[in-house]
Amino acid sequence: MVTTASSKRTRQRPRFRLVLATGAAATALVTAGAVAPQAQAQPQDRPVARSQARAAAADDGKQVLTVAVSQSIDSLSPFLAQRLVSTSIHRLAYDYLTNYDVKDGHTVPGLATAWEPSPDKLTWTYTIRDDSKWSDGKQATAEDAAWTFNKMMTDENAATANGSFTSNFKKVTAPDPKTLVIELKKPQATMTALDVPIVPKHVWEKVDDFSKFNNDKQFPIVGNGPFIITDFRVDQYLKLKPNKDFWRGAPKFDELVFKYYKDGDAAVAALQKGEVSFVQGLTPAQADALKSAENIKVNDAPGRRFFALATNPGAQSKDGKKFGNGHKALLDPAVRKALFHATDRATIVDKVFQGHAVEGEGYIPPRFESYFWKPEASQKIAYDPARAAQLLDQAGYKKNADGKRLDKDGKPLGFRILCHATDPNDKAIGKYLQEWWGELGIGLKVECLDNVSDPWLAGDYDLAFDGWSVNPDPDFVLSIHTCAALPATPKDTGATDNFICDKQFDDLYAKQAVEYDAAKRADLVKQMQSRLYDTGYMNILAYPNAVEAYRTDHIKSITTMPEAAGNIYGQDGYWSWWSAEPAAAESASDSGSSAGVAIGIGAVVVLAAALGLFVAMRRRSTAEDRE
Amino acid sequence: MSTTSTTGTTAVARASEARAARGDVRAYLLYVSGKIGGAAVSLLAVLVTSFFLFRIIPGDPVKAMTHGMPTSAEQMATLRRQFGLDKPMWQQFTDYCAGALSGDLGMSYQFRAPVGELILQKVPATLLLTGVAVVIYSAIGLWLGTRSAWRHGSLGDKLNTGVALTLWSVPGFWLGLLLIITFSVGIGPIPGMFPTGGMESGTESGFAYVADVAHHMVLPVLTLVAVGYAQTLLVMRSSLLDEMGSDYLTTARAKGLRDDAVRRRHAVPNALLPTVTMVFINLGHVAAGSILVETVFSWPGLGGLFYQALSVPDLPLVQGLFVVFAGAMIVMNLLADLLYPLLDPRVGR
Amino acid sequence: MTTTPTPPTKTAPAAPADPAGKTPPTARSLTWARRRLSVARFWSAYRGHRAGLFGLAALALIALTALAAPLLVGGDVQSVTNAPGTAMEKPSGEFPLGTDQFGRSLLGLLVWGARISLTVGLLAAALSVAIGTLVGIIAGHYGGWFSTVLMRITDWFLVMPALVLAIVLATVMSRNVWTVIIAIGITSWPTTARLVRAQTIAVESRPYIERAKALGGGHGHIMNRHVLPNVMPLVLAQTTLGISSAILTEATLAFLGLGDPTVVSWGGMLQDAREAGAVSSGHWWYLAPPGIAIALVALAFTLCGRAIESVLNPKLGVAR
Repeated sequence: MVTTASSKRTRQRPRFRLVLATGAAATALVTAGAVAPQAQAQPQDRPVARSQARAAAADDGKQVLTVAVSQSIDSLSPFLAQRLVSTSIHRLAYDYLTNYDVKDGHTVPGLATAWEPSPDKLTWTYTIRDDSKWSDGKQATAEDAAWTFNKMMTDENAATANGSFTSNFKKVTAPDPKTLVIELKKPQATMTALDVPIVPKHVWEKVDDFSKFNNDKQFPIVGNGPFIITDFRVDQYLKLKPNKDFWRGAPKFDELVFKYYKDGDAAVAALQKGEVSFVQGLTPAQADALKSAENIKVNDAPGRRFFALATNPGAQSKDGKKFGNGHKALLDPAVRKALFHATDRATIVDKVFQGHAVEGEGYIPPRFESYFWKPEASQKIAYDPARAAQLLDQAGYKKNADGKRLDKDGKPLGFRILCHATDPNDKAIGKYLQEWWGELGIGLKVECLDNVSDPWLAGDYDLAFDGWSVNPDPDFVLSIHTCAALPATPKDTGATDNFICDKQFDDLYAKQAVEYDAAKRADLVKQMQSRLYDTGYMNILAYPNAVEAYRTDHIKSITTMPEAAGNIYGQDGYWSWWSAEPAAAESASDSGSSAGVAIGIGAVVVLAAALGLFVAMRRRSTAEDRE
Repeated sequence: MSTTSTTGTTAVARASEARAARGDVRAYLLYVSGKIGGAAVSLLAVLVTSFFLFRIIPGDPVKAMTHGMPTSAEQMATLRRQFGLDKPMWQQFTDYCAGALSGDLGMSYQFRAPVGELILQKVPATLLLTGVAVVIYSAIGLWLGTRSAWRHGSLGDKLNTGVALTLWSVPGFWLGLLLIITFSVGIGPIPGMFPTGGMESGTESGFAYVADVAHHMVLPVLTLVAVGYAQTLLVMRSSLLDEMGSDYLTTARAKGLRDDAVRRRHAVPNALLPTVTMVFINLGHVAAGSILVETVFSWPGLGGLFYQALSVPDLPLVQGLFVVFAGAMIVMNLLADLLYPLLDPRVGR
Repeated sequence: MTTTPTPPTKTAPAAPADPAGKTPPTARSLTWARRRLSVARFWSAYRGHRAGLFGLAALALIALTALAAPLLVGGDVQSVTNAPGTAMEKPSGEFPLGTDQFGRSLLGLLVWGARISLTVGLLAAALSVAIGTLVGIIAGHYGGWFSTVLMRITDWFLVMPALVLAIVLATVMSRNVWTVIIAIGITSWPTTARLVRAQTIAVESRPYIERAKALGGGHGHIMNRHVLPNVMPLVLAQTTLGISSAILTEATLAFLGLGDPTVVSWGGMLQDAREAGAVSSGHWWYLAPPGIAIALVALAFTLCGRAIESVLNPKLGVAR
């Protein structure tokens, strides 16, 4: 057929040419692509900030603290941002009226140095500090705070993120630059925990539409927190520089960078290589691997979340209408109690969290010492499968010949549990529950969804994995179990977590909301938790730890919160990043990245050379063809 | 990952159609207008269906977005109003259509920025990554495919095809993870010499910036090339083998042309056609095809944005991206259609 | 005999293309003899393809393992409460591939996972090819505006980015194995439809179809007895190739977290490995085997598919 013989010389060339063509094309694309994003990211207002950042970066010996984050920033506008990553960045960029103490979370001065409720509990007067300046040089005053709150009260778009704080406000005024007066419609216990960033009036009054303004066009962003935002690119990075004039003292690092990693493994690998200095949300395997790594400290701190099982108590709205398709058998307290008795919390902590969690008891995690509550021995639902079986037998759910329990209609008893498809813990615990409850004779279908909100809010679930991050002030996590949080009608959405509506709980909630005495309020909060436990609609399985790691060759010291054995990321304050001290030695990342740059430069040089060669060869070959 | 045989077959079908159209100018114009019309209809269909396709995602995006965050009923109503979700479905649809036709794809729920702007921000990154990968793997595929066909049946050919088929069967995301373990984290004596993810360190400027990006690109491009070049190789190989049986090659050889010249001047250009078409179609695929690699390597492009938007669900953003992905396919298909009759050397020579 | 829906007796004589079939009592047996013969011919041609044989052998081995999984590793391998090991153990004598985060044997899970991965691959490819064949034959047979509409729909699906569409479908529906099968099946049929339509048109232009029509064969008869058997080889090749891409897509969806988390599949194992942080902690033994298994099965099906294709289409045979 076809002869394949040909001289060596001629065979060589086409191959070479194609390789060169490839190289040339790649170079062209690299250059084009690399230039494009830059050019495109520099409309009118940006070049200044960018060139500044670049110039500063070129200086040697600059101490940069890079934090890996996995959540993407939804907005840089304090009026819109709702995600944890965004709100904790706002903590750094803006001063709030009050802050939480790094030791035990009690309220300490922020922008306000003192605060005082009136005897009728309806008027609060804050004294604003006179040593806080906006980063553009203007003085921060009570007028800025009053403007911020008034904006939220009058413009619904400005209330998007934090409107719940101001919904009970009647009037906010600033009689003088040092005094802020807030009048309330009814007493509100959270007045020393107003987590609202105060923005500079002179900058923000120019904004027309608060629903569309993302505060990410003009850098540096004017703020008065310990850091100033200098640059941001969606899903890539956010950069901050220290505010040298911050009243509590300037942070010690020269730059703070939040770098976005879609993939947790990539972030951990980056930590191992020194590309980043801090990583959070580690899996047990990652924590184990990092523990033995050099220059890395793993911080396994008590978390602020609880992880719970919630049962559908029969979804209902405020107008008394029932909806959803929750399983009837779960309305029987004996069944719920049996399920909880057959749930081995110690194994969950041991196997699923692999020790990086604390066994669940009361509603509020032990980290918040003053509010933490544990069930008495008499009321505690401990792991006891035999007791569970006994309870079910007594309640009339007997096993049939196949070992399946039958409900009151004679059908095999089986429940569904809603699980978040993106949460490995949900899926893992689901597996265990399936086997534990299976032994009890009860079927369980684990329904994992990306969007659990819809069946949840529609009441279309039997059980669900539930979890909330608890703030130093427990008002919010308690409020979501009151009748007032139920949706108005089945079509509406309420703030309710799990459709619980209990008179006794509500009465206690109302009492604590107006109790300004900390100790008395704490006692009421404990009583509420006890009541919640007894209703048996929720069972706290565990308090997952915050597992984080940082490079000790980048960070010499960093403050955790609580100061003794606390966490670093997502604190109720700016303590960690503000206090972080750079390690003296030149960070490893620099050598790594310069080597990387060398490789990159090498690649580009090779490609460019290839391009040149290609052109030359191309000329020759066409000449040859012409002969 | 589409099947090799498919693209080859459609390419062949396209060839005969196009050749018929090449006959005279009027026929060609008719052919062109037909293709453009068809593409326009497809694009319109994509616009309309993308609206309804994503409405079947059950439920209320506002609830999904705010679940787990302290949000009052008033705040939710505000959100709904801001996103136009309080309007009836037909009005949302007409708004969407009117917007889409004027280039406005709506507001992203999660970023509160125009969808068009968000997509445009990410286009360069995706284009850079996948463009480089497609160019490289097409070139490698063409080269190896040509070699393989020319020495059909030899050990080299078998090895070539075998390796290509094996790599083609490997899940791309898995290969990416292994590359990260090996070359980013480092195993044993191999140091972690490449970055684990992202597109830039964010500390460089000028030439160093270009080098930095190139450095970040190595592993993702390698992954895409490894799983992608097989297709080009196989199509090139089979179409060249088809050509090699043709009479005109024998004639050319009889004229006394050197074997190499026969190959370079006659066989390869003809065989290139189906492959070039395929490269175009692959270019259309790249945006959508990058979802996995972008996820694994934290590449800040369209694929990653899509996956993230879907989990919110950020409907306008998902919709917009879907239109972009499908639009890219339609446009590239159209280009392949239009170029085909112009490129076909068998006509008019 | 049960393979083709047989219309009433009077159609039997009209059916065979072979004139010998007119001998009434043996018509059926002749047909079968012919089929047996062509299978034998097919096999002897297939045997010539070494790669195809290798693929077939690999498939047989894997299928056998999957079928025998309950005997080999026992159904208990999935249990988390009775897991024999501790979390994330390295490979050892007891656990040749180590353990997962629950302390279950990875080798056992790998064997067990073959069942789901293969089932999903087979069913999804079957669904896709069934839709494609149906649409293709109908469009090719009837022609006219109906065909135009069908092919427009096909083309529309063809330009849809298949993976994107599959991701959307898998997100919308609840997480279970059927969702994955449907998502893959619905997004991958158009290529088959186009090929089958072309083949149908080619078959129907042959003279004996004219004859069958003249003898009173209806639409159903022609499609069932003449077109279908003739497109069957193509469909077989498409199915085999389709399985390999279906298995890859299944793994992809599972990896993106869109699979059924309550069953063990290879893609799901990769997802579990990633969620457990196997990549950064360097647990390559957790990550490598499922990927190799996926690649092996996909490769085996591709090799078989290519061998079948080239046996059935000699021109392609030269080419490949």
